[in-house]
Amino acid sequence: MSSLLELRERLKVIYGRNDVYIIPVVKFLLTFLALNMINGHMGYMSRLDDLPLVLIVSLLGSFLPNGCILLFAAVFSLLHLYELSMEVALVGLCLYLVICFLYLRFAPKDAIAVLLTPMLCSLGMPYIMPITIGLLATPASAISVGCGMAIYYFLHNVVENAQAIGAMEAEETVAKLQLVLDVLLHNRPMMVMIVAAAVTITVVYLIRRLSVDYAWTIAIVTGSIVNLVVLLIGDLKYDTNMSMSSALLGTLLAVLVAKVVEFFRFCVDYNRTENVQFEDDEYYYYVKAVPKMSVAAQSRTVKKINSQKRSSGNRQGRSRRERNVQENRLGEKLARRRSVTINGMEDSEDFFPEELTDENAGYEDGFEQGGYEEEYAGDGYAEGGYEGEEYEDEGYEEEFGKDSSSDGYDAQ
Amino acid sequence: MLNEERVILMTKMQTYEEREGKKNVYIGNYFRGDYITIQILKSVVSASLAFFVVFMLYIFYDFEVFMQNIYEMDLFAFAKDVLMAYGATVIAYGFISYMVYSYRYSKAKKSLKAYYSNLKKLNELYEEEQ
Repeated sequence: MSSLLELRERLKVIYGRNDVYIIPVVKFLLTFLALNMINGHMGYMSRLDDLPLVLIVSLLGSFLPNGCILLFAAVFSLLHLYELSMEVALVGLCLYLVICFLYLRFAPKDAIAVLLTPMLCSLGMPYIMPITIGLLATPASAISVGCGMAIYYFLHNVVENAQAIGAMEAEETVAKLQLVLDVLLHNRPMMVMIVAAAVTITVVYLIRRLSVDYAWTIAIVTGSIVNLVVLLIGDLKYDTNMSMSSALLGTLLAVLVAKVVEFFRFCVDYNRTENVQFEDDEYYYYVKAVPKMSVAAQSRTVKKINSQKRSSGNRQGRSRRERNVQENRLGEKLARRRSVTINGMEDSEDFFPEELTDENAGYEDGFEQGGYEEEYAGDGYAEGGYEGEEYEDEGYEEEFGKDSSSDGYDAQ
Repeated sequence: MLNEERVILMTKMQTYEEREGKKNVYIGNYFRGDYITIQILKSVVSASLAFFVVFMLYIFYDFEVFMQNIYEMDLFAFAKDVLMAYGATVIAYGFISYMVYSYRYSKAKKSLKAYYSNLKKLNELYEEEQ
């Protein structure tokens, strides 16, 4: 476990230092994957299935906001639909517009969930999103997952009925529209999946917010069971012909992914839970503080003290070592300087040699590259530590219960 | 000379400003009523457009039947039904918008209060130093 925690800390440090590069690369890969999946599954317009074009659009997606990735994917899918039939493209456009007008206005940041849901559905892993979203977001995100599922089932059924649509005459506009709308509106598996996802997200969210030990694990397990039960009821009632074995395997996979998410997002040590109670003029506070599991990432410092003279062939290696030793000495001096400052002794630039000013000692660099960024990121103005029911600081996950009914008087 | 406490405070504030702070400062520029009214108006426009799109699809879905019956049907009753459905959609969506944006406004205000108290603290730190 400690090696895993160390790995996590290392990954956090790497991400903190290189997020400027990591985020665009991830967005590029996501766009590339989404467009390739659309081209692979639909591929009616051969001009879009062109690697340079996909690469250029992916490059655009790497630095534009997340909503643009969704827009690119929507445009690609609509162009493919248009190549198949204008009427189908029209229905697709209407579906996207309704989603855009009614939901994305409230939660434009959920665009990534709308994009990821159809992608995971087409990879045969539709149950990952409900459980993961339940852990990371709010029940409102159930709507974005539902929208993503509606898009997936619409496109999937269009692809399945592509031959029938293609065989229709150009004049049969209304018949094409009816076929596509029937596919969209009377799709029982889609309805069952959307309801199951919504219920799962809500259950997972409600349980993981509870002030009980192992709330996240209980939420994951309960959520997956609820998901399976709703799917089973839907299958029995509406005869959706779902494969329950694949649903079971998919749910197990979702549980694994959720555990990984839990490890990175909510890794706490319940054995060291502290329950404290205190009061101020207005409230009684019942505080449960659960310490986060963490280990300090190992930092390797190679210190070599060698006064032996080396042959000229080793001069290059020697000079590097000398530089290391020099840097170590510099670091030690800087540490001494800070301790002096903390102890309230003289704190003046003149007190230290010139080489120890912050700029040439690397203090500025370390500061900008993530030391503080990591420590204070998400510290939570918006979380509103006091007024919120749950907040976290660097070392603890804390849950507050407030009791204001006593008007500030103690029983004593 | 670097004041560590001040630098930490400034870093926290800058992080906040670059993330949710930008949105909250924008919200904080409005009075509560103005902000919610503007958002509800935007929602009404969105709901109207979405209703129009769905209505057009509905018409096209049964276009032939609709065209056959257009001279026989009671157009006033049909228009009344459509307007009722439109009104219900807009009212429901407007109500949801009211709830969501009221909550967001109060959340942003609380968040800004903490931000401004930190700003005050930062100012005090500068004054202490001088």
